[in-house]
Amino acid sequence: MRELAGRLAALDPEAGAAVKVIAYFDRLVDGRAGLEALVRGAATLAGCPARLDVPGHRIRVSADGRRSDVDGEADPGWPAEGGLWLERPGPRTAVDAMILERAAAAIRLVLEPDRVREPVEVVLDATAAPDARGKAARRLGLSLTSRAIAYPGGSAGVGAPASHRRAGVGPAVPVLDLPASLAAAKVALRFTAEGTHDDPGPRVVRAEELGGLTVLADAVGPATEPVPDVRALERSAAAAPWMLATLDAVATSASLRAAATVLTVHHSTLQNRLAHAETLLGWSVHEPSGRLRLQLALVLRRLHRRSATA
Amino acid sequence: MTTGTPYGPPPPFDPEAAAVLEVLAARVPPAITGDMLPLLRNGSGAGLPSDDELCRDGLIELADHRVSDDVSVVVGRPPNLRAPAPGIYYIHGGGMIMGTNRVGLDQALDWAVELGLVVVSVEYRLAPEHPHPAPVEDCFAGLLWTVEHAGELGIDPARLVVAGGSAGGGLSAAVTLMARDRGRPLVAGQLLMEPMLDDRNESPSTHQMRGLGVWDRTSNETGWTALLGAARGGPDVSPYAAPARAEDLSGLPPAYIDVGSAESFRDEDVEYARRIWLAGGSAELHVWPGGYHGFDMFAPHAVISQDAKAARLRWLRRIHAE
Repeated sequence: MRELAGRLAALDPEAGAAVKVIAYFDRLVDGRAGLEALVRGAATLAGCPARLDVPGHRIRVSADGRRSDVDGEADPGWPAEGGLWLERPGPRTAVDAMILERAAAAIRLVLEPDRVREPVEVVLDATAAPDARGKAARRLGLSLTSRAIAYPGGSAGVGAPASHRRAGVGPAVPVLDLPASLAAAKVALRFTAEGTHDDPGPRVVRAEELGGLTVLADAVGPATEPVPDVRALERSAAAAPWMLATLDAVATSASLRAAATVLTVHHSTLQNRLAHAETLLGWSVHEPSGRLRLQLALVLRRLHRRSATA
Repeated sequence: MTTGTPYGPPPPFDPEAAAVLEVLAARVPPAITGDMLPLLRNGSGAGLPSDDELCRDGLIELADHRVSDDVSVVVGRPPNLRAPAPGIYYIHGGGMIMGTNRVGLDQALDWAVELGLVVVSVEYRLAPEHPHPAPVEDCFAGLLWTVEHAGELGIDPARLVVAGGSAGGGLSAAVTLMARDRGRPLVAGQLLMEPMLDDRNESPSTHQMRGLGVWDRTSNETGWTALLGAARGGPDVSPYAAPARAEDLSGLPPAYIDVGSAESFRDEDVEYARRIWLAGGSAELHVWPGGYHGFDMFAPHAVISQDAKAARLRWLRRIHAE
């Protein structure tokens, strides 16, 4: 049987790598594995050294599983989560992100075994037992269906988005499906904007209003090159402080007159601005096709600004 | 029959080793039956390192040699090794029914690099196409050839250790018995990694681990039946087929035996070590807690795998120093 030995290093990023990463760390947690085994799992699965550096614990394991001394400080450019680093230059791949998320969650369980988890955390955790999630939902007083909310920085909630916070809102689902709603909310969060001159757009986005735009979210990762229209938009933005807000108003208003009202400028001022903008962009935003092109460029720009997992 | 022996639940797998098995679940069925053999033989080369990889950018040179119409060997050595050097005669695993002389060779070549020795890995005929005694006689023929060609291979014939894992461990034990009984060649030691020793397939561990881990008692029955046919488990099985059948384990070179606590071979391997001691021989026994069959190959990064490999290396260092 020895010849059947397979190697984890051959983890195929295409074929079900996520399932394998989840299975690996779940089994370590079931077996009550310690911190070193969890760091070793991250190193072996990622194929590069991994280090844990949290108060009281400094562990470094190389890709072949050997424990070694922590040497120097972690590079802020390395992919990291919860005190765990993968020692290679970023940006993180989708597999890296999955490894870090599962390993960091398992490490938290070891470091804080007696921590009582907040019911919101439990109800949104796909790996928590359905019983535990149902109980958490009852403690939160949730009705049959609810929505998950994703906020910047990885925090999350349930129900209605907190006012004044940038938020992605997941679809209303039966409470046991809230983890899936959260996944959709995280995607929606990437379409949000600060609502400022630099970053115009909606501060709250509902997942079910995105329609086919969600396809774009998958297409834009940390290493994706912006398309020429996005570069043109950035060049235009650098030319005048009013540029992005003006183009956003034109892209999202029913008419130029309505856009002028939103911007509180005179219609002729808007016409002058657009003439300038069209020269810089290289296409007309007066035609429906040009406005679609502008909408896409604005959306892609937002996705690029939030390309790491939200 | 020991089926009446009371036993508890299976010992828990080591968590790191188990996590790998979890990931490989679909590719590693615990219970192998004869009808799965063509598929397994077809796919078994996929996980093996290529000869280029085995050579490790010039740290190792490989050369194939023909021993007879039925037997060949591959010889691996570090270049510029000072002759005569110690040698390892390596026999691959695969349940008597699968594998090639490249299976497990990477670990033997680790020893070659680490300790400065020559590895000779034998290609023997497999059951069921070639039942007993073909596999073990092929392995013995390769061993004799190695000793007869020790000069040109740069091997010190007084420092030749026989080594193998799983079926290769059983065959290593068998050729060591043959060498003792036939009066030649001299074997300096036997390194038996999770050896497959007992065709009767009735030890408590074969029952306790049924359907679990790697190479359970169904697989074991498949392998032994391929080798022995209807004679398997009966009164007339040769110790050269199943070394657990040997009545006399005296006069053997020092043995190293390792096995996982969570595998079918646990009890027959512990018993083999115990009987060597009882016969007045030398044996070093390691039972790795929570190891399933082949854990060190499936999960080479796991701490118990690192420790198991380090222990083998330490034993080899001692044996070759004597």
